[in-house]
Amino acid sequence: MRIETDRGAYRLVARREFVERARDKSFLISSAITIIVLVGFIVGTSLLNNGTRFDLGVVGADARATAEQVVAGGKALGFAVTVHEYPTQKEAEAAVRTGSADAVLVGGSQVIAKSQPPDQLLAVIQAVSIRERARQALERAGLPPDRIDAVLNVPPLPVGALEPIDERRRQSSVVAFIGVLALYGQLFAYGYWVAAGVVEEKASRVVEVLLATIRPSQLLRGKILGIGFLGLCQLLLIGAAGLIASRAVGTLQFPAGAFSAIGIVLVWFVLGFFFYATLFAVAGSIVSRQEDLQATMTPLTILIVASFFIGIGAVQDPSTTLASVASYLPFSAPLVMPTRIVLGELAPWQALLSAAISIGTTIALIPVATRVYSRGVLRTGRVRIREILRVEG
Amino acid sequence: MLELIDLSRRFGDVVALDSVSFSVAEGETVGFVGPNGAGKTTAMRIALGVLAADSGEVRWRGKPVDQNVRRRFGYMPEERGLYPKMRVLDQLVYLAMLHGLSRADATAEAGRMIDVLGVAGRARDRTDALSLGNQQRVQLAAALVHRPELLVLDEPFSGLDPVGVDVLTGVLRERAEAGVPVVFSSHQLDLVERLCESVVLINKGRIVAAGRIADLRSRDHRRLVRVEVLGAPPDWYATLPGVRVLDHFPDGAILELSDFLRERDVLDAARAAGDVRHFSVVQPSLTEIFREAVRT
Repeated sequence: MRIETDRGAYRLVARREFVERARDKSFLISSAITIIVLVGFIVGTSLLNNGTRFDLGVVGADARATAEQVVAGGKALGFAVTVHEYPTQKEAEAAVRTGSADAVLVGGSQVIAKSQPPDQLLAVIQAVSIRERARQALERAGLPPDRIDAVLNVPPLPVGALEPIDERRRQSSVVAFIGVLALYGQLFAYGYWVAAGVVEEKASRVVEVLLATIRPSQLLRGKILGIGFLGLCQLLLIGAAGLIASRAVGTLQFPAGAFSAIGIVLVWFVLGFFFYATLFAVAGSIVSRQEDLQATMTPLTILIVASFFIGIGAVQDPSTTLASVASYLPFSAPLVMPTRIVLGELAPWQALLSAAISIGTTIALIPVATRVYSRGVLRTGRVRIREILRVEG
Repeated sequence: MLELIDLSRRFGDVVALDSVSFSVAEGETVGFVGPNGAGKTTAMRIALGVLAADSGEVRWRGKPVDQNVRRRFGYMPEERGLYPKMRVLDQLVYLAMLHGLSRADATAEAGRMIDVLGVAGRARDRTDALSLGNQQRVQLAAALVHRPELLVLDEPFSGLDPVGVDVLTGVLRERAEAGVPVVFSSHQLDLVERLCESVVLINKGRIVAAGRIADLRSRDHRRLVRVEVLGAPPDWYATLPGVRVLDHFPDGAILELSDFLRERDVLDAARAAGDVRHFSVVQPSLTEIFREAVRT
């Protein structure tokens, strides 16, 4: 009935961290709120952007033919036109007066509006109507239909933009911004959980029961893995919700880009989390009460917040010197590098180099952190790191 | 057999343990007794590997103790500790699994333990929703849930009501009969006397006496009497030459007689002082042995 090795102990610890936290009510509520806010943001912006629509009334068959072309023209210009048919001009006018129609086309010859028809709608109606009347005039002049088409279907004037809007780039920026925001939130929240979890075990003294059974390194490893995995799952869930919502409302024009952006964010969460979690664990192990945690966490808080601002800056301009340097430093890379990758600023080797630096630093940090943690976790009161490293060193 | 061999440990300038050695045999229940700050907790922590000794060794069944061996020990620290937010049953299953039990065994044992300790009704409650007494029972369950081969309990009786004391006494007896060595520290010496055949007395980091309680008693050649007198002036015995007061209580005292003082001289003095309700020659209790050992 007994398992003679204890190598799997950290897995049990990780499992506990994951399960206990995942079913915590406040965790479930905050996850739900995050997802609701994100989906709300996506749906909201799409409503704002794609919300332009007009109601056009028509009286008579000629008007209906024109209206069909108006609908097509509106679509091309990014707004929707709904056509309503009215049997008589009188009823159409009544509809305009009550506001259920923005304008009414009467026959092929007249547009009626309450006071001033909406500019966008009117412009399309006029353009369609001019084209139609030109066609009729040309027909009357006896031009054959293919000549008429040749005359009317001239290519539009080419537009030479001095500062072109790169739609792909614009969307990447939005994705990058959300990514930085999510990474900032996750690194902070889950790093704090590691620290608070360490303090909880110290403050409740359960740590002595645990350390009579497993080694401090196993406890630390399990805690970081369990909490990190939960953070990863939550991030994945948020990413999936965002992706589904954007697809549903149709804001996402480059789904492949969004997929890879989510992948990049997840990878950098893992890299950043292990780096910060190791340090947060140290911050937790040198205090005995939650109230004292704020003080030892301050340096880490400053690092994360500063990196966050550099990351936000990089969304605007990913090529500054600050952003370039910050994307290779292990503490700021998780919040800066993803943006630069998503905005296509980098060669793949640069991303790999930064990841390697981050992994290398974390690996170098783990033995030191484990040592401080092991020494600090059974002590009460505020412990000085230097003292711990010296004593029994 | 658990052996603590020549353990020493200092904290800064304070010597917590000074060459402490003692052993606990299979099926033996040993009381670990000493004043506050004597080094009991330090010794137990070292035995469980929670703390490292500066020198010395802990052996179990003749071999040095490592992490895998320790997982089969049961430990109740002086500083009680459980996850406050975790449900009682989940917590015990988790701890049992950390000790190496499979999930199925852990669940079965955890269920059995909370049953034995009378907290089965609270299995699904958060641990911090329980009264302190019940939390203490859960703590005990945590020390016992993996059917440990050795039990080390630091002040297991403190904070228990009389019913809890009876439950714990029963559990410890049952474990000892199953061959499990049990060491526990306590200030309730009457309990130690009732439960243990042997004791280890520690003072200022050194073992001052160790062995079977009966042997310690017979080695104690002091002559003691217990006298209870009604209506006597307080300290009536103070005037008797050659008497040392070991203990006193309302209307009575336990007196140590010097060699030249006879029991009947004391009885005469008691009669003269008031109505004698009780007069007996007593063997030194563990409390007296403890006091004597700590005094020197």
